[in-house]
Amino acid sequence: MNCFQTTLRIKVSKDFDIQNIAKLASINLSEDEQEKLAKDLSIILEHVKALSDLELNTEQKEIYIHPLEKELELQEDELVESLTHEEALSNAPESKDGKFVVPPSME
Amino acid sequence: MTLQPTIGIETHIELNTNTKMFCRCGVVDTEEPNISLCPTCLGLPGALPVPNKKAIEYITLLALSTGCEITTKGMFHRKNYFYPDLPKNYQISQFDLPVGLNGQLEIVIDESTDFIQIERVHMEEDTGKSTHSGTGRIESATSTALDFNRSGVPLVEIVTKPVITSSKQAVAYIEELRQLSIDLNISEGRLEKGNLRFDANISVAPEDSKELGTKVEIKNMNSLRSLERAIDYEIQRQSKAVHDGVEIIQETRHWDENKEVTSTMRSKEGSADYRYFSDPDLPNMYLSKEFVDQVKSSMPQLPNEQREELINTGLSLKQANILSKSDEWIKSLYFKVHQQTKDSEGSYNWITGELQGQMRKANIERLPEWFSHDYLSEIIDLIKNSKISFTSAKIILSQLLEEDSTPNEIAEQKNLFQENDTEKISEMVLQILEENPEKVFINFYFRLIFL
Amino acid sequence: MDIANLPIRKLNTLFNKKDLKPSELYSKIFDNAVGSEASLHAHLTLFEEENIKKAKESDGRFEKGTAQSLLDGIPLAIKDNINIKGYKTTCSSKMLSNYTSPYDATVIKKLKESEALFTGKTNLDEFAMGSSTENSAFGLTKNPWDTDFVPGGSSGGSAASVGARSSIAALGSDTGGSIRQPASFCGLVGFKPTYGTVSRYGLIAFASSLDQIGPITKTVDDSRILFSAISGQDSRDATSIANDQVDIPSDKTAKIGVIKELMEDGISDEARNEVSKVIETLKTSGYEVKEISIPIIKLAISIYYLIAPAECSANLARFDGVRYGLRIDGNTSYEMMENTRAEGFGKEVKRRILLGTYALSAGYYDEYYGKALQARKEMIDEFTRAFNEVDYLISPTTPTQAFKAGEKTSNPLEMYMSDLCTIPANLAGLPAISIPTGVTNDNLPLGVQIMSRALSDESLLNFSEIIEKEIQFDQQPKGWV
Repeated sequence: MNCFQTTLRIKVSKDFDIQNIAKLASINLSEDEQEKLAKDLSIILEHVKALSDLELNTEQKEIYIHPLEKELELQEDELVESLTHEEALSNAPESKDGKFVVPPSME
Repeated sequence: MTLQPTIGIETHIELNTNTKMFCRCGVVDTEEPNISLCPTCLGLPGALPVPNKKAIEYITLLALSTGCEITTKGMFHRKNYFYPDLPKNYQISQFDLPVGLNGQLEIVIDESTDFIQIERVHMEEDTGKSTHSGTGRIESATSTALDFNRSGVPLVEIVTKPVITSSKQAVAYIEELRQLSIDLNISEGRLEKGNLRFDANISVAPEDSKELGTKVEIKNMNSLRSLERAIDYEIQRQSKAVHDGVEIIQETRHWDENKEVTSTMRSKEGSADYRYFSDPDLPNMYLSKEFVDQVKSSMPQLPNEQREELINTGLSLKQANILSKSDEWIKSLYFKVHQQTKDSEGSYNWITGELQGQMRKANIERLPEWFSHDYLSEIIDLIKNSKISFTSAKIILSQLLEEDSTPNEIAEQKNLFQENDTEKISEMVLQILEENPEKVFINFYFRLIFL
Repeated sequence: MDIANLPIRKLNTLFNKKDLKPSELYSKIFDNAVGSEASLHAHLTLFEEENIKKAKESDGRFEKGTAQSLLDGIPLAIKDNINIKGYKTTCSSKMLSNYTSPYDATVIKKLKESEALFTGKTNLDEFAMGSSTENSAFGLTKNPWDTDFVPGGSSGGSAASVGARSSIAALGSDTGGSIRQPASFCGLVGFKPTYGTVSRYGLIAFASSLDQIGPITKTVDDSRILFSAISGQDSRDATSIANDQVDIPSDKTAKIGVIKELMEDGISDEARNEVSKVIETLKTSGYEVKEISIPIIKLAISIYYLIAPAECSANLARFDGVRYGLRIDGNTSYEMMENTRAEGFGKEVKRRILLGTYALSAGYYDEYYGKALQARKEMIDEFTRAFNEVDYLISPTTPTQAFKAGEKTSNPLEMYMSDLCTIPANLAGLPAISIPTGVTNDNLPLGVQIMSRALSDESLLNFSEIIEKEIQFDQQPKGWV
């Protein structure tokens, strides 16, 4: 297999937008953290470069989700009782009138 | 330069299965919040999704009924975004291997049909419900309350190709899709309950242009009326912008029912990056030929097939369309009455016109249990044979909605039978003339026939 | 012999013969906990009150002769990323420090049916991300062999507990080696079953396609007993499979392979020596042993460190302060979520979430995550080819013996590289076990890893037991019992 025929073409972008990634991941990073994490990610991505440059044979659409290639089993549409109302709210940081309460959500 | 609008519609249909899409909590319709939950639909740590077989049968049925190709080896994907009513902060959906692809739906506008191309039909799960307190509007809310009863309810998403060209077409499309989902028995189809929700993508471009204009998404249309008005407004807004040389921004706009305008939603710039990837909790979904055949064999009569049947009884396309979108009992009533009277116009008019009108006025939703289709057939026959007038027939019908009787009995009781023998009529006329000469003289100038 | 040192079957025999009571065993185990926790910090919580009651109930069953299960009255330590109803499940994270589970994981339900006791919840690297327990938000766990050293991770607490005999056996979870590596570092047996044979329902997910729950025990037989109790297809886990075992020989007709790429650079001499020791033993017993090459193993770290973070970035998205767990306020719910996640997650967790988010993001999917999936498929195929030639594959479990706390935390890659030997089994879904074989010059234990084809778990256990009998590793850390 073509495992070791890496090309010299370097595709890893070192100047990825850490702020954008943090936004997508909904984590409010301090500037200090941003810097450190951007550096860490650079190191890791540098290492995985060899993989991203590989020529592989398998078609992505043929990929099985399950490592043992199991197929999905569909379940009968039958009710199973689960959490009580109290259990569902038992860990709520804030609740009122049986609903979870959060600061206002936009959009 | 004439501008041509291009419209695509995305519809979400809530399936009326017993349980949710990825857990076996009940699908409930209640005001009581957070009473149908489990670790999975509440997004608790350690919970896992398990798919609902009935939901897959229903979506396959819908896909087949619109002539879609069924994807044999499909999969589920995670659509990642953060929002408080989305418990896992990703929605289990389908990305590039949806259940159905490339179908079409026949729609009817007045006396003509058209076909709307369907891009895809895919399976996903619903979110919880947010209520914003304060003024009730998002912009000035002080907090948001969440009810997750709806979280995880099975949703089918149907996306048309951008082939719709007017608000009228859009409305006809939704009406047809709604009726289809009711006839397939996969949804209640009640717009006001949110069983069916839709967004529209609208752009305008010069008639001869090969490219489409900038696409704008319109959300928050809660009825067919708002769908029509929102589309008309947006087409106008975009056309004006083009004529004025103003750039149309690709964005999502919100239809304001009260102000009757679309306005920019306060949202993030640029299109969202959902980072779709195949859900590792759900192995590949293989829909076998046996499965698909079994679903196919359960296919009921579709609205367009029904219309054909109705047209064959003698109705116009428009009339057939209206009937095909009526409640089951009305359709059933028509067929029974038509079978007896062989009078399609009469049956149609009496049922959709007078009967439904009287029921509305009397605030009755269903026919009383004693009311038989025979009564209508009898009424129609009585009129055909000139035994009663239209006015009398209306009176009889109204009476039948109140008491258990028959048209003949009521006509007898209320003395509604009319005389049709011309000899007898002449006799009666002459008699009246004799008894009332003055009246005849005065009225002669004002009436040609006096009865 | 101290009862805390005994294997499960022996204890069960003593219970049945009425030579020992479950409450006596629990009392001893609890004493060991009291004696060791201050220095080792293996447990985050101990379920003392409940266990006194349960042990007495177990006593009653053995008294009457109605005890049915081998695990009746046996105290097990449970890694704190497995839900036990009514108790805190923290994943060693600030995010869940106040979270009480409203439901039982399937494995817990099964163990409750077997009438096992739970000593309590054990420490781990936060959200199972790490190889040393240094990433725990509640302090690190020490290695019972030498408290200057880490016990391994992420199931470090479970391993330390069994090592110090504050439990008879433990459950851990393994995504890239988190059962096997701490077992190796603590001189214990650690078994990762075939993917899907043990339900993940109730295991707080790190990487869904890689995670498996498994036992950390003193003997192979103990692992066998636990595997039997917790395995089985679960209707609540769509990735679980029927445990239809495949029989392969474990006697000398079995063919043995040594993985070439895992005996080369990056592997310490001590680790290589342990493998050689096992090979010699097998050859002496008449087994056929040969070298097997699986080239793609060299890319295992890269594949793993794209797939696992990608999946975890989505699995950990649910921690947002809305319905449970930590909440840090904000003016809007977005702000609240962003602040909560900034405060609630530790450094390593943030690192992996961001890496995963990036690997999946627009424009980079094909290059990173997509590629990793394809490479994973090729790895699975290479293993299939290997198992056409041999029945068992042997390698070191870890490149080195245990390291000292702080030694590997400067460079993220350094820690990741220590997973080289264990990651392939997770990627391919294969059963893999680490058995202790020796002690290094620093008096730290090391184990050897054996893998076999999917669903041959029982044969693998049988084969491992044969080696265990030959090697006779009977050492334990001093001073805890």
